[in-house]
Amino acid sequence: MVDLDIRYTYVTDISYLKKWLDVQSMLHWFPMTTEKEVEDMVQSWMGMSRYGAALTATCEGIPCGMGVLFLMPYKKVAHHCAFMLLVDPHYQKQGVGTSLIKNLKHLAKTYFHLELIHIEIYEDNPILSLLLKLDFHEFGRQEGFVKEERLVLGRILLECDL
Amino acid sequence: MITIRATVESDLPHLVQWLMKGDILQWFPMLNQAEIEDNMRIWSAYSKLGASLTAELNKEPVGLALLYIQPYKKLAHQCLFAIVVAPSHRGQGIGTQLMQALMKHGKEKFHLEMLHLEVYEGNPAIALYQKLGFTEFGSQKRFIKEGPGLYRGKIMMQKHL
Repeated sequence: MVDLDIRYTYVTDISYLKKWLDVQSMLHWFPMTTEKEVEDMVQSWMGMSRYGAALTATCEGIPCGMGVLFLMPYKKVAHHCAFMLLVDPHYQKQGVGTSLIKNLKHLAKTYFHLELIHIEIYEDNPILSLLLKLDFHEFGRQEGFVKEERLVLGRILLECDL
Repeated sequence: MITIRATVESDLPHLVQWLMKGDILQWFPMLNQAEIEDNMRIWSAYSKLGASLTAELNKEPVGLALLYIQPYKKLAHQCLFAIVVAPSHRGQGIGTQLMQALMKHGKEKFHLEMLHLEVYEGNPAIALYQKLGFTEFGSQKRFIKEGPGLYRGKIMMQKHL
């Protein structure tokens, strides 16, 4: 485990997000394929950071992971939101994801008064066991959601009560 | 006789009117006119991509349906859709015809292989979706908050085209 600090995401963290997503194996876990698709996703992520809805994990002052809450724009559904998480490939399996999820849950509950958060992952994503350990439960499973060349994957939907 | 055609911008005010009538908004995430107008901007953007169809009766729009075409290549073989029928023309088979046209349009224009939907618990449209071959793949119990401690669930269904 590494010694981590968690802080709000700065606009300047964008370069780290782009760098981590530039690793082809990372993109397997996300819907993006092309540079343009990555750029669109990163912009949408940083857009949420302006509302204080994104967190960055740092190790010795250097970002090593980020998480974001995609706040809902409509009042009837504003009590929950989807989130995303990305950990620097060099810092995986060192507790960064766990720490970010715990802090995102805390931020969602105490600052945004959310009642639940949810996430969509692809079926071969090893983060599934971590999410289950952190009290997430599955509420949907859709086969054939992703087509990556010859690989067809389902998506798993998980949520956690706050 | 119902005809189905591509949606034009001037159809959207009809959609706003339908959504503002009675209790129809209970089946949608929007709460008020400002949220409906925000949603219409999204509908209009997809419509410009040719992803929206309008059902017409006597040259008047009576139903609209939209494919939320995926912006990502890996997901482009499937998409979510939305459909709204004018409250005054419910129970006349317009939803069925619009759905059949939408599935055909999705397959031919966008090469879709799968369509999916989100519908709230208690919505009578669930029976139509089942009749058209959609099957449930998930449900989220507290999706809509209608008041303190009062929730309505969301059901997710899909169909291979």
